[in-house]
Amino acid sequence: MSNKTRYFVAVTGAILVIGLGTGMVASYMGVSASVFTSAAGPEELEYVPAEAAVVAYANVRDVMNSELRKRFQEMEPTQEHKNEFEEKTGLNFEQDIDTVVAAMMPKTNLATNPEGAFLILARGRFEAARLEALAVEHGATIADYQGKRLITHHDTDSNDTSHEDMAVGFVEADLIAFGSATSVKASIDARRENRNVVGNIEMMRLVSELDNANAWAVGRFDAIASQTGLPTEIASHIPAISWFSAAGHINGGVSGVLKAETKDEASAQNLRDVLKGLLALAKMQAGNQPGMQAMADSLILSGDGKNVALSFTLPSEVIDVLEGFAKGRKGMRGPM
Amino acid sequence: MNADMATPGPPFDNAQGRQMTPKTQTQGASNAPRQGHMSFLSASRRVFDLSLGEMLWSRRTIFMGLVVGGPVLLALIVKGVELFGMSALRVNGQRVAGFGIFGVMIWMLFLRFIVPVLGVFYGTALMADEVEDKTITYLFTRPIPRGAVLVGKYLAYLACTLLVVLPSVMIVYFLLVPLSALPSTFGSLVIDMALLGLGLAVYGAVFAFVGAYFKRPLVIGLLFAFGWEQVVMALPGYLKQFTIAFYMQGLVPHAMPSDGVASILQGMFRENPPAWVCLSWLFSYLGVFLYMATRVVERKEYILEQ
Repeated sequence: MSNKTRYFVAVTGAILVIGLGTGMVASYMGVSASVFTSAAGPEELEYVPAEAAVVAYANVRDVMNSELRKRFQEMEPTQEHKNEFEEKTGLNFEQDIDTVVAAMMPKTNLATNPEGAFLILARGRFEAARLEALAVEHGATIADYQGKRLITHHDTDSNDTSHEDMAVGFVEADLIAFGSATSVKASIDARRENRNVVGNIEMMRLVSELDNANAWAVGRFDAIASQTGLPTEIASHIPAISWFSAAGHINGGVSGVLKAETKDEASAQNLRDVLKGLLALAKMQAGNQPGMQAMADSLILSGDGKNVALSFTLPSEVIDVLEGFAKGRKGMRGPM
Repeated sequence: MNADMATPGPPFDNAQGRQMTPKTQTQGASNAPRQGHMSFLSASRRVFDLSLGEMLWSRRTIFMGLVVGGPVLLALIVKGVELFGMSALRVNGQRVAGFGIFGVMIWMLFLRFIVPVLGVFYGTALMADEVEDKTITYLFTRPIPRGAVLVGKYLAYLACTLLVVLPSVMIVYFLLVPLSALPSTFGSLVIDMALLGLGLAVYGAVFAFVGAYFKRPLVIGLLFAFGWEQVVMALPGYLKQFTIAFYMQGLVPHAMPSDGVASILQGMFRENPPAWVCLSWLFSYLGVFLYMATRVVERKEYILEQ
């Protein structure tokens, strides 16, 4: 073997060894996804505790500026009501909120007692002093937690001892956390101790697959389904879905995709079969109505193995119909 | 093939072997050395050492470089497009993520195109080139088993192609798959690489036999890889069981998109036999064709036309 051949073998071998070594370290030594990237998902995810079962995101600015929202704008609350809220809080939803991240933590008896299970993180421009003053006026207390300002409100009217205090934490200059006092504190701890959802490889894998969506939700389906208090007859018929994601893009219309990852391939096949039947039924029902027909045609089922995906598009015909319905209802309510 | 195979074994009697031949020279089994000084394995290793360098620095390697460089270039373009915030590939309005694109490239480019192409061009040339260049004499007059010549050359082909194809796949993987998805997708990469290795081995064995047995092996090889396999795979029925691609696709870990043109492809993929059946058939093909190629080389009389 000549030296030239030896060098070639060494170089190509080195590429293979480096690549395989990197992959093996990442796969088997427990390297977190956060080590590699901060690109997947919004920065607010660092404030979502690691145990979160569902994470949702909405780009409020995109949605507010969308053509769709402009079409339905006249059906929103009157300017009078909005001004009253703005005057009290100094907050104009249309202009001051950029993004919202919501998270749901797993909890027993979630259906009957959801308190403490939710956390909302809103990024935007807030007048902290004004909000604090308003809160104190309504009986809230101000305190510091890990160097962050925390407004806590205790419901004195409630006799229930399990009732949790609500809190708003100013976690960053342009980011507030809202939820029960426990969940807001957990959020601050999640960032400080770096024990957040960004370290959840499965969750982040699903988040990284979302593209061009200005609203999405990702979560562990089994964690929710087991706590929603569904009757056993219904729960036993739900396919064994382990993860789900829903992503949508709102602008002139609405398009999106719902994905589910089941525990095994048989469950996925079962779910695909059920959805195929439902799609066929929807197409049959929509036969005579052009708008609904276009919508039914836009429903596309795909996926293989343990994955099932359903993509959809709300065509402009359907939006026209919905707009017509909404305006008609408003018109009917108007004179009353 | 150079006539400078190293010892042990006596040197070639006449380095100008061609001058010994009259109008035609017959290299039949009867002319083979009756007594080999080297074992089959040692002889194969010697031929391997000699052939690897020859294969790597031949004109075919430029072709191979171009073939495996294509996916790398494509991956660079996809990466560039994604860096600008655009989706490189969409199916039914859904963005196909980096690993999805990698899966499509593994199946459509590597397993269905690059592996058969390399198998055809290298596999058929293992013996045919020596016959065409009239250098087979030098090999067959060595005191080594004739079958070892083919096995050594086959191993050199395998090493040569694996050393070029696998690093290319590795580069494509790291370009396309986001690092955050690396822990969850690495297992598939290892399966893909093993599959590519198996594919190169099986196609190589089949075409080594074709090259050893038939007179126009390249034409027959191309007809098999891009005629027979492509047509039969698209047809319903049992004929696809007589292809290599049918068993390879049963082992591909990537899910394919399932609508439009892709759904037609998926329809083809649905008849996947279980993995153990695919592996059994592929290893059977490998063993049977390599054995048959060796037997052909040992028994066939190669006629070197002047």
